[in-house]
Amino acid sequence: MIGIFFRNLFRDLVRQPLRTALTLSGVVWGTFSVVLLLSFGDSVSKAQMKRFHGMGQGIVLVFPSRTTLAWQGFLKGKAVRVTPETVEAIPEKVPGIELISPEFVGSRLISYGRKEFRNTVRGVNPEFELMRNTIAGKGRFIDAEDMTARKRDCFIGDVLATDLFGTEAPVGRNVLIDGVPFLVVGVMRTKLQNSNYNGQRDERCAFIPWTTYSSLYGAKYVSNIIFRPRDLGRSKAVMAGVKGHLAKLIGFSAADPDALGVWDTLDFERQFTTFFLAFTVFLGIIGSFTLLVGGVGVASIMRVVVEERTREIGVKLAVGARRRTILWQFFSESLVIMILGGLVGFGLSAGALQGAKAFPAGGFTDFVGVPVLNPLVIVSTVLILLAIGVVAGMIPARTAASTDPIEALRK
Amino acid sequence: MIELQDITKVYRTGSQSLEALRGISVKIGKGEFISIMGPSGSGKSTLMNIIGCLDTPTAGEYVLDSDKVAGLTFDQLAAVRNRKIGFVFQNFNLLPYATAWENIELPMLFDGKNGRRRRERVTELLNAVGLYEWRGHRPSELSGGQQQRIALARALANDPPILLADEPTGNLDSKSGEEIMAILTDLWREGRTIVMVTHNDHIAAHSERTIRLFDGQVVA
Ligand SMILES: Nc1ncnc2c1ncn2[C@@H]1O[C@H](COP(=O)(O)OP(=O)(O)OP(=O)(O)O)[C@@H](O)[C@H]1O
Ligand SMILES: [Mg+2]
Repeated sequence: MIGIFFRNLFRDLVRQPLRTALTLSGVVWGTFSVVLLLSFGDSVSKAQMKRFHGMGQGIVLVFPSRTTLAWQGFLKGKAVRVTPETVEAIPEKVPGIELISPEFVGSRLISYGRKEFRNTVRGVNPEFELMRNTIAGKGRFIDAEDMTARKRDCFIGDVLATDLFGTEAPVGRNVLIDGVPFLVVGVMRTKLQNSNYNGQRDERCAFIPWTTYSSLYGAKYVSNIIFRPRDLGRSKAVMAGVKGHLAKLIGFSAADPDALGVWDTLDFERQFTTFFLAFTVFLGIIGSFTLLVGGVGVASIMRVVVEERTREIGVKLAVGARRRTILWQFFSESLVIMILGGLVGFGLSAGALQGAKAFPAGGFTDFVGVPVLNPLVIVSTVLILLAIGVVAGMIPARTAASTDPIEALRK
Repeated sequence: MIELQDITKVYRTGSQSLEALRGISVKIGKGEFISIMGPSGSGKSTLMNIIGCLDTPTAGEYVLDSDKVAGLTFDQLAAVRNRKIGFVFQNFNLLPYATAWENIELPMLFDGKNGRRRRERVTELLNAVGLYEWRGHRPSELSGGQQQRIALARALANDPPILLADEPTGNLDSKSGEEIMAILTDLWREGRTIVMVTHNDHIAAHSERTIRLFDGQVVA
């Protein structure tokens, strides 16, 4: 039976090579499109997510602002002022916070030798490093000792480092920030970042202990707070806790919608994820339509094959073949064509994706990533291929199985 | 036991309708050897197809071994064609791309018989029709008489109690025809029920009884 089956199939495929080639190419091209579009969508999503994480991972940013509701005798419009000490004490009162840092932001002159730039300087604590992914590539980030001793140590972004020092090694050298000497203790590892707030991107910033910042520049109130909840899923609840705590402490209504500006990146990340999922699904659907065209090709060719083999069907029915035997015979033939085309399509797309790896990193690949044939893409494509194959194979197979034996034998 | 009661078959082509069979009642007992004769167009093949469960009557009742055939599903009819009735056609109806061996094997595949039993039975049948050496040949490489013997072997694959042959010798020379008739006679002697359509009186002489059709009706 198996022998007859393959001989049959082979005969159908070989007897009309042009027809076979056209049918197969539809499926091959469809599979190729689905694989490439899905893996492209996937890689763009991942690349964008990575860039988004460049600003930080799992963080909530809080910007003290002005009240918009009157509160206990105060008119609305009162500035909300938060000191860095208040910020660092929040975890004692509000549970569920893993890391927290106050942040001062200012634009200052940074110079080394004859080079001078007006760049953003951020006054922060050591917990900032993990939250904001400002990981030290050379040297180290601000540490606890810097904080207590109000040391004039600074950690600088990688682009600022090259701007100031060119090819020289920055760690251990002194720069002047608004004329005051600071020791460079570390340089940030290069990262991709597509989101930002208050001032320049991290690659151009200098980071100093907030203790140094406030004593040197007389700053009393933070420009923002940054924290990471212990349970990322509970960022809303933790934020409500922080707001309630600050409202009581500083004196504003906990119901005031604008006293604290909040940027919950977790919220944003969820939307971001949904958007890119939709984007990938959309690409997948476009690819599926191409594959659908291939499936229609298979179905119509199989219709012709069924027509040509009506007599054979009649003979088989006459000697006792059941409907499902005939159904399965033609259905599996269509499926074999689909699988064959699918395999070639997979092969071609694997080759194309291998070629895509040759693109140099940086520039364009920072935005779209490098598409790869990952399991998700493979599984989705196989499912689409099977779904279309089943429909494309079922239609002609049902026609074959509903043949009337006498009519067929008369042909 | 084959019992036909008032069988009618009407073909409709467009606005025209043609009564191929008009009220045929026939009883064929187990182990009988019957020949059906009649002029061309008298409805012999139509009747054979109905007896062979390949076609259904427009009206009337067909009882086969106490089963009302009209009440059987398509797959039940397929099972009857597979195990109970062997059918031999005038034009052989062999699968052209399959070998003699594979053609004979076909009904056993649909019956789900295992490989060893199939091999044994095909070998036995090929020897019985004297074509074992030709087992690997395709129908186009065989003579008409050889093809009909292969078709006969195929009809016997599942050892059916009833054998129907619609002009089995119609396309053959007299020598090949006699060979086929010798085999049919042997099969009848073994206890099979045989119904055969023929135009030839010499061929019909092998049978016990002749049913004559004229214009869709039994005349004798
Ligand atoms: N599918 C069909 N559609 C229309 N008319 C048909 C069909 N099959 C048979 N007929 C008609 O029914 C009548 C009986 O045909 P049938 O084939 O049974 O005759 P027959 O006795 O076998 O003839 P022959 O000896 O030539 O084989 C004929 O007039 C034929 O034209
Ligand atoms: Mg006839």
